[in-house]
Amino acid sequence: MSAGNDIVSLNAINAARTKQYKFYSKILSESENPLYKEFSSAGIPFENFVWLLWSIKESAYKYLQRNNPDVIFTPVKFVVKQLQLPANYIITNFDSQQIEENGFNTILAIAGIVTYGQYTFHSRSLLYNNLIHSVVNNSENFQDNYWGIKLIADNDSEHQSKEVRSFLLERLQRLFKTNDFSISKSQSGLPILLKGTDETTLPVSLTHHEHFVAYSFHTTINI
Amino acid sequence: MTRQEILDELKKVIAPYTTNKEMLAGIDDHTDLIKDLKINSANLVDVIIDAEAKYDIEIDYDSADKMVNVGTCIDVISEKLNQKV
Repeated sequence: MSAGNDIVSLNAINAARTKQYKFYSKILSESENPLYKEFSSAGIPFENFVWLLWSIKESAYKYLQRNNPDVIFTPVKFVVKQLQLPANYIITNFDSQQIEENGFNTILAIAGIVTYGQYTFHSRSLLYNNLIHSVVNNSENFQDNYWGIKLIADNDSEHQSKEVRSFLLERLQRLFKTNDFSISKSQSGLPILLKGTDETTLPVSLTHHEHFVAYSFHTTINI
Repeated sequence: MTRQEILDELKKVIAPYTTNKEMLAGIDDHTDLIKDLKINSANLVDVIIDAEAKYDIEIDYDSADKMVNVGTCIDVISEKLNQKV
């Protein structure tokens, strides 16, 4: 089991640059270009599509990296095979302070399939006017995938890092009714959840970009 | 170009994408772009494209894969510059 999520703040991206071939060709592979058709019809700008694919690919990379620490993130080697934009998908601003859910039964998401070599992953992405958030899983059932997105006040890296950790820990403390958790980092830089001084097997994933932080984790506990 | 000259130029390429200016001033071969300079992964493509423009080189996927720290960035840029000659 693993976890992978990624957030992109669309206010922080360079739209003009993203639309240049020399830029997006380092993220998209040729086979993915036709996937834009449906998004184009829905009025979604090409640059947002590029960053949607980026967030899916980076999430899949994080998911894979936990059990394959030597894998390097080459976006074009992660290939998005399918993307399903829900009918009448309405894109709004993310204007809450935070949202937290498990699975995507109560919130409409863009469903995708992404591969890396022989590995296949499923993705769910939320597209707002101001952010994209993706979560990746190894099955189509996301019910055991817990995730959260939060708007933070300060975007310096120390603050982002502190905020995303406390956001995740608060959720875990509520779920497991303990305040004994902390986050450490593995040698390859992956977040590790500790209970007391012991490493747990619960996979967690953290992400931040500008004023947004997000987490995902996988657990089968019954709440 | 010597490694030192590439390093001096590389600092200018990286500067817009790191807020850790103190660390940037003292970077060496072992400085990691993400872990040390806190460059957001979403800006890694920017760094590669800016480096391509700065040195008038093309950095393919396999070479870009190697650019994780300052030393490997200089290795790749140096190799591509040598291929031009």
